[in-house]
Amino acid sequence: MIEVEHLHKSFQTRSGGLLRGQRRTVEAVRDVSFRVARGEVVGYLGPNGAGKSTTIKVLTGLLVPTSGRVEVGGLVPWRDRRRYVGRLGAVFGQRTTLWWDLPVRDSLDLLRDVYRVPPDRFRENLKAFTALLDLGPFLGTPARALSLGQRMRADLAAALLHDPDLLFLDEPTVGLDVVARERIRQFVAHVNAEREVTVLLTTHDLTDVERLARRVMIIDHGALLYDGNLPDLQARFGSARELVVDFEAPPADPRVPGLKLVSSEGPRVTYAFTGAAARPIALATAHAPVRDVTVREPDIEATIRRIYEGGLLGTVS
Amino acid sequence: MNAALLRWGLLGQAAGINARLYCAAARLSFRRQFAYPAATFWGLLTNLFFGALRVAVLLALFGLKPQVAGYTPADAVTYTGLTQAFLAAFSLFGWYDLMRTVHRGEIVTELLRPHSFLGFWMAQDAGRAAAQFLLRGVTILTLYALLWGLKLPEGAAGWGLTLLSAGLAWACGFAFRFLVNGAAFWSPDAVGIGRFAWALMGLACGFLMPLAFFPAWFQSLLAWTPFPSMMNSTVELWLGHVSGTQVLRVLGVQAAWTLVLLGLARLVLARGLRRLEVAGG
Repeated sequence: MIEVEHLHKSFQTRSGGLLRGQRRTVEAVRDVSFRVARGEVVGYLGPNGAGKSTTIKVLTGLLVPTSGRVEVGGLVPWRDRRRYVGRLGAVFGQRTTLWWDLPVRDSLDLLRDVYRVPPDRFRENLKAFTALLDLGPFLGTPARALSLGQRMRADLAAALLHDPDLLFLDEPTVGLDVVARERIRQFVAHVNAEREVTVLLTTHDLTDVERLARRVMIIDHGALLYDGNLPDLQARFGSARELVVDFEAPPADPRVPGLKLVSSEGPRVTYAFTGAAARPIALATAHAPVRDVTVREPDIEATIRRIYEGGLLGTVS
Repeated sequence: MNAALLRWGLLGQAAGINARLYCAAARLSFRRQFAYPAATFWGLLTNLFFGALRVAVLLALFGLKPQVAGYTPADAVTYTGLTQAFLAAFSLFGWYDLMRTVHRGEIVTELLRPHSFLGFWMAQDAGRAAAQFLLRGVTILTLYALLWGLKLPEGAAGWGLTLLSAGLAWACGFAFRFLVNGAAFWSPDAVGIGRFAWALMGLACGFLMPLAFFPAWFQSLLAWTPFPSMMNSTVELWLGHVSGTQVLRVLGVQAAWTLVLLGLARLVLARGLRRLEVAGG
């Protein structure tokens, strides 16, 4: 579905005065290559300014790359952009495509004409999405009066009514409560399974990724750092397990031979270890009187934070 | 009206234009103008207040003279009524919608739609203008007719040609507004450019004063610009100051400027989008 080879994008920025300012070239994306198969859901992660949105803009035909080859469903996005974008759907969590002052139904109906969807197909889709996303109660409400969760559901329907091949989701659950998030994830999973829509998901909410994507790509400083599945990422780069020990009193020396010290704050000392927890616990309790111990499992978020912060990975070979 | 829309739709389809969409967009935009009745009411009241003020000033200017620069007092009253009526429909005080869309980055979502960007905006503005003319324009003209009396175009042909001219004035003005808003692609504070442009438009299209009141040299200078086509031409047709074959000439000039400005708007849009493509949003 998506083929990206050696994608480069650099921008000219000017700093200082208009006349004497110096031109600087910023490389937003450097030599990024990947392929996404039809029907895949890929989580695309990276800190702000990492090159995520530049990649997305190239894939949506809004930016022309400096060099590299990009093909989506056999088309080059920025060539004949208008024809190309008819096959895309997009939800940018922070923005709405609904008409602010008009009932949701009107915004959705307009999409039939925007994408020239056959009337029967349109009716069918609208009915299915209305049921799945429970749009019924607010189809007649103007977008400005919707709750954030309702607005996001309506926007999701709007992005999919024309049966796109490829769906871009950017922060689809941002600002929502747990129930609303879950509902949106279920819907995306359903649409992906039923309709074989390929989904590219950018988010800072890693639960979205864990629930929806089997595969993640991590980009930072414009380069692709990791491309693979989540369990592998955890196995390769997951931080060690942590043992949090609350001593009776702050220990004179928190260091315990055989345990790696992570932090020490008053009576609470944290150690890192791998493997089973029995031996580290024995070592710690032998060191000084202990009130409590907790074992903390590494989470995906911590793993990814470590990757960003430490530059754990070289670029993907 | 629906038959006319249908005919245009078929014509458009033959030309590969998604006419159904543009009609639908215009219709939605028309309807959204009715979403804020309070704003409409207060806008109307303001229009009327300033309209009354302008009538008083112009009539004082006339004094006992039967005519000033070809305008009778009745012409002058009708002129102020028309300018107040067109004010909202033609966005004569300025229009920054496209600028905002560019500056806020909302343009990105719009560009993900497979239709003509300019066409879609023009359709939306057509719907907005039509609704504003009905809501505020027609009401103002009715009130003027009741309060001070109003000169009307003569006969079906007079009405038809005047309304055609009003449509062209809107289109010409839209193209100009779109063009000015296009500055947003290059400048983060294009609002200043806008302010200057609207001031120029207000003066040169005959909104501040009938163009006939200006010195001859200034009038002939303006005749070489598109601005009179954005309103003054329509006013002169309405008042019957233009007659015979001159009417067709005026309409022709309006249509020509509309096409030229729309062409320029397209060009500027293409350049602006290329800038977005290369430099990012």
